[in-house]
Amino acid sequence: MSADTPKYLLRKLLLRSSGASRLWAAWLSLCVGTILLLLSLMIWWNFRELLQGKSNEDSLGSSFITISKTVTDDNMGNPKATLFTTTDIAELQTQKQVQEVGALVSNHFPVIASTKGSLGFSTEMFLEAVPDHFIDKRPGEWNWKEGDTQVPIILSTEFLNLYNYGFALSQGLPQLSQTSIKTITFNLTVGEGDVKDTYTGHVTGFSDRITSVLVPESFIQYANIKYGHHATSEASQLILKVKDPSDKEFVDYLQSHKYSTNAEQLRWSKMRAIVDVISGTTGLLALLLMGIGTIVFILFIELTMANAQQSIVLLLQIGYSPRYISTFMLGKFVPLLLSAILIAVGVAISAQIALSIWAQPMMLRISMLLGWPIWLVVIFSAGLLMLQVKKAVVNALKKV
Amino acid sequence: MSFSKGDQVFVEAPSGTGKTTLIHMLYALRTDYEGELLWDKREVKSIDAERLSELRAKHISVIFQDMRLFPELTAWENLEIKRTLCNTVNAEQVGKWLHKLGIGHKKDALASTLSYGEQQRISIIRALLQPFDWLLMDEPFSHLDKENIKKSIALISEVVQENKAGLILADLDENHYFNYTKTIML
Repeated sequence: MSADTPKYLLRKLLLRSSGASRLWAAWLSLCVGTILLLLSLMIWWNFRELLQGKSNEDSLGSSFITISKTVTDDNMGNPKATLFTTTDIAELQTQKQVQEVGALVSNHFPVIASTKGSLGFSTEMFLEAVPDHFIDKRPGEWNWKEGDTQVPIILSTEFLNLYNYGFALSQGLPQLSQTSIKTITFNLTVGEGDVKDTYTGHVTGFSDRITSVLVPESFIQYANIKYGHHATSEASQLILKVKDPSDKEFVDYLQSHKYSTNAEQLRWSKMRAIVDVISGTTGLLALLLMGIGTIVFILFIELTMANAQQSIVLLLQIGYSPRYISTFMLGKFVPLLLSAILIAVGVAISAQIALSIWAQPMMLRISMLLGWPIWLVVIFSAGLLMLQVKKAVVNALKKV
Repeated sequence: MSFSKGDQVFVEAPSGTGKTTLIHMLYALRTDYEGELLWDKREVKSIDAERLSELRAKHISVIFQDMRLFPELTAWENLEIKRTLCNTVNAEQVGKWLHKLGIGHKKDALASTLSYGEQQRISIIRALLQPFDWLLMDEPFSHLDKENIKKSIALISEVVQENKAGLILADLDENHYFNYTKTIML
């Protein structure tokens, strides 16, 4: 006789077929429940990751948005009313989502850009400065010190697009590439009356993040004192580094303070609320399904053990230990439970990979790997299920 | 009253005076008694289920009056389920014992189809498939003829001696099945 004889005999005594269809129904419900739970979690997590990582390109898990105070009928006569005070900035810094705040300081003096020759033009313009580390693609020659006649400029790509697709086409002017603009130099006349100087300006880079005409901070500070009407350094706009710009609390905060932003991310806030509701409802449904599956599973175990009660009593009487019998019963049911969970994990992994591949052409970066909350739920639910089944077996043995 | 290892005790009592109750108490199947019952200085009532199963598998064996076989298993399987738990007797030996007691040919018959006498002999062999310090017997030969009683006694005596064990036999009438060292009248 082989060594597994007692196992074979125990199976014969303890696992007499009693409604295997019920067992498989419970298994199916557990499996589908777990799949739904993992998928709903996966959708929620990926969407969250997508929003947080929906940075203007380069930041990891954070985004940059520019905010300004909304110009209303009441404050339109008073330019100072739309400047950010130090109190405003301090309050913003305490917000949970805000990681860093940078001030966009604008010029308080007249600026005229002009060139001579066939492409000659002359236009009044504005300049702004922002702390260097907020600039997404900082060119190598990004500095200015007193005495320099060259002023580097970073132009918003949006402005170039406006020119190329709006202005140039309508006026019959040539469209310009980024490299061609970088070769052009022009005169930058700052100040008025007696206090007036001319510098040479040239575009050294383009920014996707900040919609403005940027010059080094040192230049604005120097020029505002030298040529300015008033030496204020209060910010006209703020650039914020935020973890998740679609966070509802943060969006509400911006709205309640009448701060406006054109950041597209804020529009995702509504979408996110919808996704949260959908994944939450699916998750609840999944939990319900898993709960029913677990209950039927446990009832099946109890029924099986009740059917085998006489055999169990006699096994205990001839020297089999309760632990031996419960280990045997668990050995039968635990692999079934594990298989349901493993299949669910397999489906979730495949879905994640499919999602990642599907999203690639849309420039959405979704990881091929399941997020940690999903693994956490897998481990937790597997542990909880095992515990419940073990409890059911031990309790059923106690009743014998 | 106390029994020491190696004692051969005969409990003589007429029907309905508590022989089976006593055997069940000694085997810790019943704990609804007053007073004290100690195994190795340990109160039987306080022994937990795991320790009890160890005691039943390695130290105390029993032949029940009502045999208590698994009706859905064959004679052989009824023995195997006990033998493979303890692993002290090999399958070949079990085969010999079956032949010795004259039930070798019933090996593959379902226990539920065996006669009482056959069931009793299976039950006797099953009790011998483990190591033990004590063998408890509750009217172990009630369904056997003289010839089979003789064969059974020979087998039991041999295994009891091998184990250097004691035995407690409860029966209705006086008998000389074993060399009793103590007799108790209930």
